[in-house]
Amino acid sequence: MKNLTQREKIFNFGISLLALGAFPLVWFLSQAILFRELTEIVSRNVLVVIGIIVGSSFVFLLFNGMERLIRLAPRERRDSLEARMFAGPSLFMIGLFLFYPAIRTIYLSFKDRYGKEFNGIENYSWAFSDTEMLVTIRNQIVWLVFVVFFTLFIGLIVGWLSDRLNKGEAFFKSIVFMPMAISAVGATAIFKFIYEYRPPPLTQIGIVNGIRVSAGEKCSNNRIIDGELNDYADSSCNRAIGWLQQRDLSNLQIGETLESGGWLSNLLVNFPLNTVLLLIIMIWAYTGFAAVVFSAGIKAIPADIMEAGQIDGASEIKIFISIVIPYIKSTIVVVGTYMVVTVLKAFDIIYVSTRGDLETNLLAVKMLDEFSKYRNIGRSSTVAVIIFVCVVPIIVGNALRERENNSL
Amino acid sequence: MKKSIFGLLVILSMIAVACGGGSLEGEEVFITGALVGNDAAGFQQNFDSFTEETGIIVSFQGSDNFEQEVQIQMESGDTPDIALWPQPGAVVDAANRGYLVSLEDLGVDMDEYRSNFSSYIVGLGEVDGAHYGGAHAFNLKSIVWYQPAEFEARGYSIPGTWDEMIALADQIVADGMTPFCFGMYSNGASGWLATDWMEDIMLRTGEGTATYDKWVSHDIPFNDPVVKNAATFLSQIMHTEGYVVGGTDAIVSTYFGNAQDPMFEKDANGNPGCFMHRQASFITSFWPEAAQAGAGSETTVFPFPAMDDGLPKAALGAGDMFGVFNDREATIEVVNYMLSNDFFEAAAQRPDNSRIYGHVDFDTSLYSKDITRVLADTITGALAENAFRFDASDLMPPEVGAGSFWKEMMNLAVEGPGYIDTALDNIETSWP
Repeated sequence: MKNLTQREKIFNFGISLLALGAFPLVWFLSQAILFRELTEIVSRNVLVVIGIIVGSSFVFLLFNGMERLIRLAPRERRDSLEARMFAGPSLFMIGLFLFYPAIRTIYLSFKDRYGKEFNGIENYSWAFSDTEMLVTIRNQIVWLVFVVFFTLFIGLIVGWLSDRLNKGEAFFKSIVFMPMAISAVGATAIFKFIYEYRPPPLTQIGIVNGIRVSAGEKCSNNRIIDGELNDYADSSCNRAIGWLQQRDLSNLQIGETLESGGWLSNLLVNFPLNTVLLLIIMIWAYTGFAAVVFSAGIKAIPADIMEAGQIDGASEIKIFISIVIPYIKSTIVVVGTYMVVTVLKAFDIIYVSTRGDLETNLLAVKMLDEFSKYRNIGRSSTVAVIIFVCVVPIIVGNALRERENNSL
Repeated sequence: MKKSIFGLLVILSMIAVACGGGSLEGEEVFITGALVGNDAAGFQQNFDSFTEETGIIVSFQGSDNFEQEVQIQMESGDTPDIALWPQPGAVVDAANRGYLVSLEDLGVDMDEYRSNFSSYIVGLGEVDGAHYGGAHAFNLKSIVWYQPAEFEARGYSIPGTWDEMIALADQIVADGMTPFCFGMYSNGASGWLATDWMEDIMLRTGEGTATYDKWVSHDIPFNDPVVKNAATFLSQIMHTEGYVVGGTDAIVSTYFGNAQDPMFEKDANGNPGCFMHRQASFITSFWPEAAQAGAGSETTVFPFPAMDDGLPKAALGAGDMFGVFNDREATIEVVNYMLSNDFFEAAAQRPDNSRIYGHVDFDTSLYSKDITRVLADTITGALAENAFRFDASDLMPPEVGAGSFWKEMMNLAVEGPGYIDTALDNIETSWP
């Protein structure tokens, strides 16, 4: 290594360039061009077969080819070249599909609505002054606080309690886990039916409104009894409520007596009912996931620690707080991190329910709105950057913590 | 087998090239748009006879997500030949960004186009003196749906003026029923129904279409007294006790597609939930299936009442407009065909068609449904008088037309008449 001649250095550099740069590029492009041309000529079925055969041998032949080229290099260089060979293609892919778009998005966030002229930090000052953006940011915070707290909290309790069950644990856990199997879009569709509102005198098909209007002596959800229609038109009946359209509690009974004053009533006056009703969907969908992960963590706690606690006379709650939670702390942090990132990216629930109307918007949907509804590339990129900036510290923090754990 | 067909195609195309010289046989033109289902099938069907004649293969792909997809396609340079936007504002926007070829550059006879679709429609696609939008199907918004049998049974007559409509509404309230169906919730577009009301009132007050055009182009501010006057009229409908099904809260909570359902539902005394519903012609496809069969007979329309006798009978509507991305010869052929009188024939005859063509010479007897014919006559009549106007919120900048205007109308419905000034001021400040 020390006494490389100039000629050997150039030779080494040439080999690395060939093996790690030129060969993968040519290989990749030839595949791309081959398939582009093939789609014009070959029928779909044949194309699928060719795709499976050629595509799956692609990786093998790629590494094989690079390996052969690396063999030309002197023996002592081969190890480091081979290490790079394995990291190279994935770094290339990440760069192409992740870093390049991210950098371009940041660049575009300083440009105008057409993405042509620079307009300084105008987009960012818009992002933190526009009323709709401020509401969107408020919602994002409400979602973060409520969703992360409740999924962790309920998940922990379910995980702990299911572990204490004598039998039927698997059954119980699979029921709680079930919502995870449904897509967020499906879960939202279910909840949309739960919250559904129909104008009177139509039959309320949403279960919440159905129960509401049926309460009371003269009230019924348009049931026909003895050939007579029983409706909820009487003034003593509860009115049906469009739940996802309620920005506050003013249409509920408790809302009527509310007055701003102390901090609690201030909070209640501004309580964003529809936002909270929507984030319940996410809590419902992710609690099962948290519970299953926690339950696995709890199972890993050595029995003797628990027994020691029991012998010392600690109550169940004491054991839970002083033994279980500290023991699975890192699991909680990992699930919490995952939830924070998931909530920041939350999109589908809002997109298929209210589409952001009536102050329910979230950043991810707002980003799309700015792009397609308001046709403003600059602002859309700005919202994307804001999401990005919120996610990055969490990911970095997680990576740092991981490194700390490894070094211990 | 594959090979022989391929070979045959090569030979055929060689023959075609040899014989036809400049023939467009086998050329493909790709169109995208927001039409799906029946409408998309009808649109595709329009090209059957054209393909037979010219050999140009036209394929249409519709998508619910069209507006986003076409944005991305334009950004990446992977555009279709022609795109059919559901509103002219988007065509102008694409032209502003330099993606479209103007109709003049395509060699379209502009005078003929103007006389066929009115200069107002042609002007909608104008950017810096060049025209980019090709007119297509329209729908009519200046209509109020009602059930003649229910009116007759109670001795109500069709209101010809706003005052008559208010008098009728008061009469219905006095009889213990509810006059109006009103629902303006719409995922991601909540509030547009109220903007339609505003537009219809604007067309019938002040100086009619003249004020309307100034309002759209922001030559008068959004909080001008004329606009405030219109908002006050709208508030009269929304906020008068007993006028609207379910009260004020129901206006913002009711999905616009369900809004008319109370009209088809009888209460214990046999009275319908409401008597009048001002909504565009496309609402029929949202009705319950049983009611859809009676569109045009059991449930039909009267024109939105006049408010000022001195003004011509205006009609408010909306519609699709197409923009062209290249000037290939085949594309030009298709564009000329799409603007011709023959274009819509196939779709109009489909039994499920409810789309209306804007060409003034189009034979309206071709429409399969009676109601479509009535609406089409109204549209072409208004076009001929230059009193047809496009949905203002579609023409305003998207920050207003798809943003603050919708949002503030929702707020107005909730907050009551005292909020009118705040609403209009907020919209005015949001104008870019």
